[in-house]
Amino acid sequence: MSKYSIFLKIIFVISLFILLFISSISYKHANSLDASAELLSHSYKVQIQLEQIQQLVTDAETGQRGYIITHDSAFLTPYFNGRSQVAKSFATLKNLTANQPYLQDDVEELEKLIDLRFSRLSNSLLVFSGPQMAELLARNMLSGNKLMNDIHSKINQIKDLEKANFNNHQIKYKQEILFTPFITLVLLLFTLFVFILSFIRINKDLTKLRKSNDKLLISAEAIKQAEIIGEFCISIWNLKTNKLTYSDNLYRLLGCEPQSFEATIDNFLKFVHIDDRQIITTGVQDLLQKHETYSRFYRIIRNDGQERFFKSTGKFVENIGYSTHISVIKDVTQVHIDNLILEKKNRELELSNKELASFNQIASHDLQEPLRKIQTFISLIAEREMSTMSDSCQNYFYRIETSVDRMRKLIDDLLLFSRTSKIDKIFEESDLNQLLKNTLLELSEEIDQQNVHIECALLPALRVIPFQIEQLFKNLISNSLKYKKQHSEQIIKIECEKVITKTTPILNIASDSTYYKITVTDNGLGFEQQYAEQIFTIFKRLHSSDQYPGTGIGLSICKKIVENHSGFIFAEGKSGIGAIFTIFLPAD
Amino acid sequence: MQNESTYVLLADDDEDDRLFFKEAFEAIRIKTIVKTVKDGVELLNHLAVNRNKLPHILFLDLNMPFKSGMECLMEIRKTDYLKHIAIAIYSTSASEQDIEDAFINGANVYIKKPHDFDTLRKLLEKVVTINGHYQSSGLNRDGFLLSL
Amino acid sequence: MRFIIQIDINIVGKKLLQEHLERLQLNYILKSNSEVEIAETISCDKLEELTLGLSNYGIEIIENNKDILIQKIKDAIIEFVYLDEELDIRTNISTYLSEKLNYRYSYLANLFSSTTFTSIENFTQLQKTERAKHLMINSKLNCSEICWKLNYSSLAHFSRQFKKVTGLSPTTFKRIIKKMRVANTEELDIEAGE
Repeated sequence: MSKYSIFLKIIFVISLFILLFISSISYKHANSLDASAELLSHSYKVQIQLEQIQQLVTDAETGQRGYIITHDSAFLTPYFNGRSQVAKSFATLKNLTANQPYLQDDVEELEKLIDLRFSRLSNSLLVFSGPQMAELLARNMLSGNKLMNDIHSKINQIKDLEKANFNNHQIKYKQEILFTPFITLVLLLFTLFVFILSFIRINKDLTKLRKSNDKLLISAEAIKQAEIIGEFCISIWNLKTNKLTYSDNLYRLLGCEPQSFEATIDNFLKFVHIDDRQIITTGVQDLLQKHETYSRFYRIIRNDGQERFFKSTGKFVENIGYSTHISVIKDVTQVHIDNLILEKKNRELELSNKELASFNQIASHDLQEPLRKIQTFISLIAEREMSTMSDSCQNYFYRIETSVDRMRKLIDDLLLFSRTSKIDKIFEESDLNQLLKNTLLELSEEIDQQNVHIECALLPALRVIPFQIEQLFKNLISNSLKYKKQHSEQIIKIECEKVITKTTPILNIASDSTYYKITVTDNGLGFEQQYAEQIFTIFKRLHSSDQYPGTGIGLSICKKIVENHSGFIFAEGKSGIGAIFTIFLPAD
Repeated sequence: MQNESTYVLLADDDEDDRLFFKEAFEAIRIKTIVKTVKDGVELLNHLAVNRNKLPHILFLDLNMPFKSGMECLMEIRKTDYLKHIAIAIYSTSASEQDIEDAFINGANVYIKKPHDFDTLRKLLEKVVTINGHYQSSGLNRDGFLLSL
Repeated sequence: MRFIIQIDINIVGKKLLQEHLERLQLNYILKSNSEVEIAETISCDKLEELTLGLSNYGIEIIENNKDILIQKIKDAIIEFVYLDEELDIRTNISTYLSEKLNYRYSYLANLFSSTTFTSIENFTQLQKTERAKHLMINSKLNCSEICWKLNYSSLAHFSRQFKKVTGLSPTTFKRIIKKMRVANTEELDIEAGE
C-alpha cells in the first residue's frame, strides 16, 4: 500500500507540473495574440494617416489647380485646410511611429517633401497672379507633379515598410502558435489518460474500502454481541500512543455503564481484588519490559459488590513501527464455581467410595471371624459329641452346619465382590493365555475329578488387572463345571476373535473401535434365554441351593470385572443344550 | 526320630482360637507340649525368660494388640538365640500380600485359620511332621516355606 | 559383603562325629553317612557323653532297629531323589526301596507311616520338592529345567505337586525368595553402613 501511495503522489506532482506548464503556454499565447492585434491596428492607423496625408495633399493640389483654372477662391479652401490638417496628421503619424525608428527617417523626408509641395503650391499661386504666369505655372506644375509623384512613392514606401514589418511579425507569430498547441495537446491527452486511470483505480479502491468498511461494521457489531453473550470483553492497548481502549462489555462486566470511566490500568485495578492486584501489575510489567504475555486468573469486585472470577489472555499484534496488545477477558465465575462444586463432589464421591469399599471389606472380614468360630465349634461338637446326641438333635445340627456353610460362602463371595473394584488396581500388560493356564491349574483338581475336556484357543495380551481376569475365568469355568450334564462328557471351548464395533451390533457402540471377543462355550445344562440378563444380577439364581450349590454372586463378579476393564459380557443359553458366555474386551 | 515331644507355643489374643489350638493338638498322634500366650509382649517376655526351653515351633496370630504378629516375627528373626525356631503365622487373613510379606519377613509356615476342626487338626499335624523332617533329615531351613 | 554358601551336611556331620569320637579316644570306622562302628564296647558314661555331645549338633544316636530302618528308608528316598542319572520312567520309589533294602514295600510303607505319621509317598514328594527348592534357590535353572531334572511328566504336574506340598506355586516361591534376598541385602547394607 505504501508503494501505491508514493506512486499516487508522483503522478499527482507530474500532473500538476504539466498543468502549470500548459497554463503558462496558454498565457503566453494570449499575450502574443493581443500583441498581434495591437500591431495590426497600429499598422492600420499608420496607413490611414498616410492616406489621409496623401489625400490632403492631393486635395490641395486639386484645389490649386481648380483655382488656377476657375479663379474661384472656393477651390483654395482645401489648400488652406490641407496644410493645417497635414500638420495634424503628421503629428499623429509621428506619435504612432515613435517606436519605429526605421520609419522615422522616411517620415521626416515625407514631411519635407510635403512642405516643399505646399510651398510650390503657394509659389504657383503667386506666380499665377504675376505676368510670366503661363510659363512659370507650367514649370511649377511640372515640378509640382514630380513632387507629388515623389510624395506618392514615399508614402508607398512607408506603407510597404509598415506592411513588411507587419508581415514579419505575423510570420513569427504563426510559427509560434503552430508548434506549441501540438505539444500541449499531447501532454493534455497524456494527463487526461493518467487522470482517468487514477480515477478508475481510486474508484475501485473506494469501493473496496466501502465494502471493507461495511464488513468491519458488521464484524464490530458481531463482536459486541458475542462479547455480551459470551460474557467476555476486549481491551486494546496501542503501545506506541499508550492509548488503552476498553470494549463496552468490559464496563458492563464490571457492573458499570459502557465507557463510564477513562480506560486506564489504574481504573481497572480499582475493581480487582486487593490480593490479586499484584497479578495484574506484574502482568503489565512483563508486557512492557519483556514483551511477554500469558493467561492470568484473578478476582474482581463488581460495582455491586459481587465477587467474580476473571480470566484474561493476551496477544501482540505487530503493525508497522509499533505493536498493539489485545487482551480478551472472560468472566469465568460460573465455570469456576461449577468446577469447584464438581471437584468437591468428586472428592466426596471418592471418599464415599473408599469408605464403602473399606466398609464392605471390613464388614465381610469381621463377619467371617465369628462365623469361622461357629463352624469350628460345630465341627468339634460333631466330632466329639455327635454319637451322644439324639437323632433329631443330630439332624438339627446338620442343618445348622449347612446354613452356616452357606453363610460363609455368601460372605466370601460378597467380600470378593467388594474387592472387585477398579480403584487402586494396577493394569498390567498380561498374556491372557498365562492367566487362563493359572486358572486351570487352580481348578485342576476339580477338572481331573470330572469328565471334562477343555479346549483353549490362543488369547491375546492385554492391559488388564491380572488377578481379576483369573477370577473371571475361574468363575465362568467353575460354573461350567458345576452345571454339566451328568454322565456325559463336558466340553468347554474357549475361543477368541478380534472384532470391530461396526460389524458387532450387539455392542451398540457408535464410535469405531476394536474389541477382542472371547467366548466360553459348554455343552452342559444351559439355561432359558429369557434369563440371560438376569443371571448377572447379584444373588439371582436359576436353581435352588439343594439342586446346585452357589451364592449367585459369581456371575455378578464376572460382570463387574468385565466392566472394570471397559468391556461387555453377554450370556446365551439353550436349556438342555449348553451355554455361551461372550466377553468383549477393548483391544487398546 | 524325635523321642522328645515337640514343644509348640501359640501367641493369639482370641480365647476361642487358643482353645481350638489346644484341642487340636490333643487329637494329634504326635507327642506335643502346647503352651499359649495372649499377646506379643507376653510372648517376647516368655521367650526371653525361658532361653533354655525354647519352643520348636512358634505359632503367631497376626492381629494382636500391643505388638502385631508381624512385628514379633521381625523381632524374633533379628534375635540371635531365637533365629532357629520354626515360625508359623496363624491368621484369618489369606491375602496373597500378607502371605508373601510373612515369608519375606522370615516366617516358615503360613496357616490360614480353617473353618472346621478336622482340617485344623490335619493341618497342625502336617506342620509338626514337616518341621520334624526339617529338624531330623537335614533339610535346608532356608527353603522351609509352607503355605496351608 | 555377601556370600551365598552351600553346606554339605554329610561332610559337616562326618567331621563333627570324627572330632567327638577322637576326643573320647574311641576307635571307630565310618561305615556310611549314618553308620559308625566302634571297635570296642563303650561304657554308659562315655555313651552318654557322646550322645550329649553329638545332640548339641543335632546328631542323634538311634538305638533301636525300627528307627534304623526308618532312617535307612529316609536315606534311600533322599538318594533316589538326588539321583542324576535318567532313570527308567517305570522305576518308582516302591521298587527302588524294596530292592535296596530287601523288604517288601508294603511292610516298609506301613512301618514308615506308623512311626513317622507320614507316608513314603508324601515323604518322597517332600524330598523332591526340597530338591526343587534347593535348585531354585542355589542354581540358575528355570522351572522347566528343574522339572525335567526331577523327572516330572510335565511342568503342570510339577507345579501341581509343588503347590500341593508347599501351598505355593513355584513362581510365587521364587518371587518370595528373591524378595527375601533383596530384603537381606538391604539389611546387611544398613548394618555395613552403621
